[in-house]
Amino acid sequence: MVALAVAGALAVFLIYTAIAGGGTPAVKPSELHGRTSKVQLVGTVVGPVRVDDRSQTRRFRLADIGGSVSVPVVYTGSVGELFKVGQHILVSGRLRGGVFVAERDSMITKCPSKYIPKKSAT
Amino acid sequence: METAALVLGGLLAVACVVFVSRPFLREPGLPAQADRLHEPDAAEQRRLSLAEECDRALAALKELEFDHRTGKVSDEDYQELVGPLRREAAAALRALGAAGQPGRGASLPGEPEGTWSAERPLPSSRSS
Amino acid sequence: MPELGRAALILCLGLSLYAAAAGALAARERRRRLALSAQNALVAAFASAAVAAGVLLAALLRHDFSFTYVADHTSRKLPALYTVSAFWGGQEGSLLLWLLVLTGYASAAVLLDRVAAREVIAWVVPTLGVVASFFALLLVAVASPFDTQAAPADGLGLNPSLQNPYMVAHPPLLYLGYVGLTVPFAFAMGALLSGRTDERWIVATRRWTLAAWTFLGIGQLLGAHWAYVEVGWGGYYAWDPVENAALMPWLAATAFLHSVMVQEKKGMMKVWNMLLVVMAFCLSIFGTFLTRSGIVNSIHSFTQGSIGPWFLGFICLVTAGSLGLVFRRLPLLRARTRLESPVSREATFLYNNLLLVALCLTILWGVCYPLLTQALRGESVTVGRPYYDFFLRVFGLPLLLLMGIGPLVAWRKASWRSLRRILGLPAALSLALGGLLIGLGAGSSIPGLVAYTFSAFVLATIVLEFARGTRARRAVAGGGYATAFVELVARNRRRYGGYVVHAAVVLLAVGVAGSSAYQSVYETRTKALMPGDSVSVGGYRYVYRGLSQRTEGNHQELRAAFDVYRGRSYLGRQEPGKNFYFAEQQTSSEMSISSSLLTGEDRDVILNGETRQGGVFVKILIKPLVNLIWLAGFVFVAGCVIALWPDAREERRLAERYERAGALARA
Repeated sequence: MVALAVAGALAVFLIYTAIAGGGTPAVKPSELHGRTSKVQLVGTVVGPVRVDDRSQTRRFRLADIGGSVSVPVVYTGSVGELFKVGQHILVSGRLRGGVFVAERDSMITKCPSKYIPKKSAT
Repeated sequence: METAALVLGGLLAVACVVFVSRPFLREPGLPAQADRLHEPDAAEQRRLSLAEECDRALAALKELEFDHRTGKVSDEDYQELVGPLRREAAAALRALGAAGQPGRGASLPGEPEGTWSAERPLPSSRSS
Repeated sequence: MPELGRAALILCLGLSLYAAAAGALAARERRRRLALSAQNALVAAFASAAVAAGVLLAALLRHDFSFTYVADHTSRKLPALYTVSAFWGGQEGSLLLWLLVLTGYASAAVLLDRVAAREVIAWVVPTLGVVASFFALLLVAVASPFDTQAAPADGLGLNPSLQNPYMVAHPPLLYLGYVGLTVPFAFAMGALLSGRTDERWIVATRRWTLAAWTFLGIGQLLGAHWAYVEVGWGGYYAWDPVENAALMPWLAATAFLHSVMVQEKKGMMKVWNMLLVVMAFCLSIFGTFLTRSGIVNSIHSFTQGSIGPWFLGFICLVTAGSLGLVFRRLPLLRARTRLESPVSREATFLYNNLLLVALCLTILWGVCYPLLTQALRGESVTVGRPYYDFFLRVFGLPLLLLMGIGPLVAWRKASWRSLRRILGLPAALSLALGGLLIGLGAGSSIPGLVAYTFSAFVLATIVLEFARGTRARRAVAGGGYATAFVELVARNRRRYGGYVVHAAVVLLAVGVAGSSAYQSVYETRTKALMPGDSVSVGGYRYVYRGLSQRTEGNHQELRAAFDVYRGRSYLGRQEPGKNFYFAEQQTSSEMSISSSLLTGEDRDVILNGETRQGGVFVKILIKPLVNLIWLAGFVFVAGCVIALWPDAREERRLAERYERAGALARA
């Protein structure tokens, strides 16, 4: 009886992750070329960061961590307090016309120290 | 700084070694028979599991009484369940007695549910 | 002084290895003096770890930047309290804290349970020794806190976002929880290795498990509060791998705390309990592996050091070893009694366990998914929040309901008749409340409504339990209701302490449901708010008044002023903003939280951005009932304290049982 229940539970979430569209792949800027599906882009912020005053849209480039390939990013929304050039961040969005258009509020800033949780939006 | 570290480190090491060797230093040259860790033999193991079963049966009985008293178990259910439980408890007590335990008799070992102390005295307990 | 620290760690390693080897030999050959010697080695290991910790602490307080660790994590201007908390702010220091707590627990377990669990201790010592050796080895060979360098003038300092009281309390509490799970694991292994089938190991570890579980729970709540208040994104739990790393062992331990009762009362579920203990321990090590290795993308970032493979190896060793042992001893663990009815207390504990374990495995799957997809498909896919939310509801809501039903079901077999009778009143009350809530608009979220209704049900059953028990006690012993109540709880600490903990969980559920299912959110999208603009959210009206700037000692403050109205009444002003710290060249977001003591509701305002013309982009969250979550923390602690409080009569009973059943040779 126990085994059945466990198997049942396993089945439920295996099916869920398989069918309900699991999640978003995490890629580096160098792996981005040509993909237009929604992904999570991970990288280091490369300046300059241009902020449009009225719409609070930021434009910057995101490079591979420890690499040189970078991609232009357009991001609107809340930004972690640690956001700055050289920071590791994660944004979700898709590539459009050579520019990575990030989803609103999807930025997550990492931090070099072990215990810091930094999230800009739910 | 360095000598202080050395001295303290040395002291710590010595203290630890002494502490670890203490059992051997306290009872030097013990023959193998006296240096045995007690391990319950089969008979003791059996007695232990019987004691646990006895406790379990008695505790179940008391819990039933408590549940009945608080209204969780209805009168009909109580009548249905109390008989088998009493028989089990009696059997467990007998088995424990047969295994060489001084019979526990009617004194109950403890009160998991706590409503009986007014009615039955605790067995005189050894300080543990 | 670093030499002393290094020496102390090497000594600790040596002592742990000795405890492991000598302890195993002594247990095998039944040699008393050697066994005692191994026990002493564990205590001595604690002393050495304490010396090493003392060296690091002294170096921190002295601002001795010749220690690389001190230079990397503190600076001269850092307040003393945070200098101390920097001890566990980095990899090496936190490992040392782990070792300290571990050897501390090991010594305490050995010293305190030496008499109570005499026969089981023999194999517990080598198990603890092995675990301690692993961590000591890491500290000696891989991540030493005592590396030195040419001392720079000043250190790098602690990140400002870590300079808060949470950093002082949260990690140590979590560690007391994580590490504490090693003790029941060691006792379980001890029982298996010695071939003992009796319950002494459970009796010996019950309190340790409960204590560790309490610390782990409090540590997590504190972490959630930290995330909510200091980090300020409007939430308290992000299903981040590192957060999950603490939740998983906690869930496994919760399951164990329940199923242990079945083993005590019916002698069943022995194998299951063993597996749960192993699972809880392995998950706690896995959790720390996740946090330290950088293997999964997380907002908690970590040094990509070489420490990951070590932990992975240790986890594999421990899992394989303990599971193998359980398998070998399977015949000894066979239960003699069976489940008699699917409607019985035993069965509800089983369902409770299945749900908890299912939730735990779901989270584990979600955490490991990116790793699996990376290995199989070449790119890591992360499951999102919806995945976790879905399963939290699927498993959590039935668990909530079970919390109300379980305590009312009789052991062995409960008839539907008596169930109907006893559940009737709480069910009716909660359904009535549910209807009322629908009328009040709670129907907007079905899971939320269900959560509220179930919570009401459980609370009603708990109150009824206390009431019935008090009345019964009074009928037997006389006296007033108050005395009867106190005596009732005092005589049944585990049961009624447990009920209080259940009440805490209910509060938590209500708080979580209210603040997530029924929250109102507003976010400025395309056009900035200018002074005079007003926004309606959640029944409140926010009117933006303007920006202001101010320079304080070490930082500059930017604040956006909002006047809050409800209907026509003015409620006050909220000023979210940002602080810019000159020295560290960093910005911190200062969320404005306005809490209502009466309704437990929070109004959170976050400043996302500002324009040159003085316009602002903000996010406003109205979170009903969120403060119940923090209240639940206090109730939780109270319940655990009641349950943990030593019961002299119970102790005597157990001592008698184990003394009578076997003549013990005096050690």
